[in-house]
Amino acid sequence: MNTPPHTATAPQTTATAESVFSVRDLWKVFGPKAERVPADQELRGLDPAELRERTGCTAAVRDVSFDVRKGEVFVVMGLSGSGKSTLVRCLTRLIEPTSGTVSIDGEDVLSMDTGRLRELRRHRAAMVFQHFGLLPHRTVLDNVAYGLEIQGVGRGERRERAAEFVTQVGLDGMEDRRPSQLSGGQQQRVGLARALAVDPEVLLFDEPFSALDPLIRRDMQEEVVRLHQDEGRTMVFITHDLSEALKLGDRIALMRDGRIVQLGTPEEIVGAPADDYVRDFVRDVPREQVLTVRSAMRPALGDEREAGPALAPSATVHEAIEAVARTGENARVVEGGRCLGVVDHAGLLGVVAGVPAAADKAVA
Amino acid sequence: MTATVTPATTGSAAATDTGSGVLRALTRHRGRLIVACAAVALVLGAVFLGAGNWPASLSVDLSGPLKSTSDWIIDNRDGHPLFLYFLGHVSNAVVVSVRAVYLVLLALGWAGVTAAATLVAWRVAGVRLALTSLAAFAVCGVLGMWVPTMQTLALMVVAVAASVLLGGLLGLAAGLSDRMHRVLRPVLDTMQVLPAFAYLLPVVLVFGIGVPAAVLATVIYAAPPMARLTALGLRDADAGVMEAATSLGATGRQRLLTARLPLARKELLLGVNQSIMMALGMAVIASVIGAGGLGDRVYQALASVDVGAALAAGVPIVLLAIVLDRVTAAAGERIGAAPAHRSRLGWAIAAAATAAVALGTRLADALTWPDGWTLDIAEPVNRAVDWMTAHLYSGVPVVGGTADWAGHFTTWVLNPLRSGLQWLPWWAVLLTIGVLALLIGTWRTAVTAVLAMAAIGVLGVWDPALDTLSQVLAAVAVTLLVGVALGVASARSNRLGRALRPVLDVFQTMPQFVYLIPVVALFGVGRAPAVAAAVVYALPAVVRITAQGVRAVNPAAMESSRSLGATGRQQLLQVQLPLARPALLLAVNQGVVLVLAVVVIGGLVGGGALGYDAVFGLAQGDLATGLVAGAAIVCLGLMLDRVTQPTQRRDLAGKGA
Repeated sequence: MNTPPHTATAPQTTATAESVFSVRDLWKVFGPKAERVPADQELRGLDPAELRERTGCTAAVRDVSFDVRKGEVFVVMGLSGSGKSTLVRCLTRLIEPTSGTVSIDGEDVLSMDTGRLRELRRHRAAMVFQHFGLLPHRTVLDNVAYGLEIQGVGRGERRERAAEFVTQVGLDGMEDRRPSQLSGGQQQRVGLARALAVDPEVLLFDEPFSALDPLIRRDMQEEVVRLHQDEGRTMVFITHDLSEALKLGDRIALMRDGRIVQLGTPEEIVGAPADDYVRDFVRDVPREQVLTVRSAMRPALGDEREAGPALAPSATVHEAIEAVARTGENARVVEGGRCLGVVDHAGLLGVVAGVPAAADKAVA
Repeated sequence: MTATVTPATTGSAAATDTGSGVLRALTRHRGRLIVACAAVALVLGAVFLGAGNWPASLSVDLSGPLKSTSDWIIDNRDGHPLFLYFLGHVSNAVVVSVRAVYLVLLALGWAGVTAAATLVAWRVAGVRLALTSLAAFAVCGVLGMWVPTMQTLALMVVAVAASVLLGGLLGLAAGLSDRMHRVLRPVLDTMQVLPAFAYLLPVVLVFGIGVPAAVLATVIYAAPPMARLTALGLRDADAGVMEAATSLGATGRQRLLTARLPLARKELLLGVNQSIMMALGMAVIASVIGAGGLGDRVYQALASVDVGAALAAGVPIVLLAIVLDRVTAAAGERIGAAPAHRSRLGWAIAAAATAAVALGTRLADALTWPDGWTLDIAEPVNRAVDWMTAHLYSGVPVVGGTADWAGHFTTWVLNPLRSGLQWLPWWAVLLTIGVLALLIGTWRTAVTAVLAMAAIGVLGVWDPALDTLSQVLAAVAVTLLVGVALGVASARSNRLGRALRPVLDVFQTMPQFVYLIPVVALFGVGRAPAVAAAVVYALPAVVRITAQGVRAVNPAAMESSRSLGATGRQQLLQVQLPLARPALLLAVNQGVVLVLAVVVIGGLVGGGALGYDAVFGLAQGDLATGLVAGAAIVCLGLMLDRVTQPTQRRDLAGKGA
């Protein structure tokens, strides 16, 4: 836990009221007598290899806390085995957590009875799976309508509603095909439509595009971005692909060995890695495309406030480089008519080179 | 395997290391150890136990108690509450339902039945199979076997319905509950390896000879594959799909009905297919206990060595088997494909056409197969057989004759093998079995095998059992020799593989009983024909498993050996056969189980030994003899299966710190 400000406390203070999912001290331990691990102060501290040796248990999720705010895309990212898929399944108790609390809209999920939990799964959170999870013996339309069928919606109505979502994900004319007759990307569109059809409050994505070809993956990512812009639905998105995380995420939780090692906006993750692991992780990211001009900015000196191209504070460094190169002058960062500072060659190059010291020095 | 060892646990890790080191050494030299122990035991046995047959002091005569049991049952069949309120109802229900199905078939008339079969085949399997079933039913009629075919079909319909229901329910339980699965699996596994004959005697004991006994024996025999496949299908349901259903908030019932069962449809249909095939095999054999129908015709004909009549009844059995197998298999394959358009309309047309044809024949008063349309093949066939007997049995220049071959085989292989086995001291037989089972399987299979063999001795049928065993061994040797050679050849040559496939397909669908007909025609009666029938019956499975095993050898391994310049022979001996070892062991196991099933039935054509005892017991109403023989058959089957059962030994080498 190298970054306490990034994990539990920060979101709690800023966004208690509007959080959809709120997770506190969550543990999931697999193995014999799993419940003793989170309870024992000594066992909690062991690293995975030691824990397995001592107890025969594997801790997939270790002491995780975070909030998912309403309307945001919350990305959980990590390598395989980091516990991210287990974590997302704990949210709707597809996997029963070992200890901790999970609440949705302030309601405790772990104390729900079967009926209440079913209600949660039917109406409030729908999931899209890596391997689609489609029923091979049903047509596309009936697969999309499956969630509604489980809710007990009548045949005519559910097929009518399902047809809308088939259209929405761009599968018009394929209603009567079987999943086996579709490409991977099309199958995942069916999976997406099935989740959308129940009109859930939150969409959970478990590595939905990692089984797809790169080009189709990009299409689907854009589809998700579009959906999010259109509807503003809350999404929890699991991925092992950093560029996908940076592209989709409003905030990213980076997991390693079951813990969240850093939680922040893409810019925070790339610009201020919390430890060597995260730094190593984001090393190859084209920083100028993620970081904004804020991180390259220095206070304006003298008449710099007046000259040069103007940029919004949310503009990326990449855009600033373009502006600076085109005009040959330093660019101003302007918000609401007020000049916040300027970016010059040195600051921009410092960002690209990954040497933030230059910018810091300028600020200091 | 593990990465780090902390200082605190180094000591214990080192200790387990040395411990597993000893175990590893033991495992490595396991074979040698077993053989050494066996040699010591051999010497000890020779000194202390001496030679000789199973000692009389160790056997128990069960004929007395068995006789009184069967007498008690016969006396109480009409009075005792168990029969009155349970078994009596079962028996009545069976009789009534078989009768009802038979009446429906009669009411449809020959044309109606044929039309229905053809149209059903057309709907589920396409035009080609529709024509096949049309031809098959027509041939049944032409051979003058319409009525027995309908009798067999009626019995089959009831038996299959019951065994699919029973097997499906058991499979459902085993598929949903781990505990049921643990309990049922060994039982089903064992039932699967027992010869069909072994099932006849217990049901006869309870129900007496007749249709109820035949149907129930068939149900018991045919239900296990359905149960196994149902459980398999339900357990193997795609976990991702099941999780998706759960994530959408499905209840347990919804998960079962909308996801788990539909996902298992392929296995369910395969189970039905297997059940039908097993039921047909059994329904024919059950003629021995009063099933009637086609099997009875074959049985009667074989008893009087009337090959022509046996063939006339045997051909419909084979045709029925092929049609039933292909149609149900095709139905299974069609699953998952796009839904046929207007399928409901197609079914409606089929139903209407059947009704029209049935009504038409009824109005034309032609419900029974017209006498003029039959063709008596018994006589020409018998003439051909007579000619064969006269010209091919013996004295053919250079090659000898079939009877000569059978005689030679009996004199030079079967007799020495039998006397050799019977000469062996009883403890040496047990020792050999134990050692073999240990070398191939685990101590657990070895214990079961030795106990099963010892049980045969205790039952007092040591000699006939060894006689049966000698036939089994001879047949297995021939089967493996020919089967592995053919299997390897067909795996290495695509042309041979393609040529063999349809032959194997047909041979694998035929019921065991049918194999007796041609061998009697060729070799007469005796032990050699029983062995020959067993070889022919077991051969397709052995060829198929071997070919699949050799073909499934990792192509990368083949390629690397080729790139090192291995000759074809080197590739076969050094790469293909060693890598196909699991398949070869499975082939041996299957071969043994299948051979035993037919060798036992060979009791009907002069195979003697346990099979004869069982038949004799049934025919003479001497259930004591029959039941003892049946129990011995069960034990022999268990023993042979366990000895040849390759079980994955626990990998000690892989268990590091």
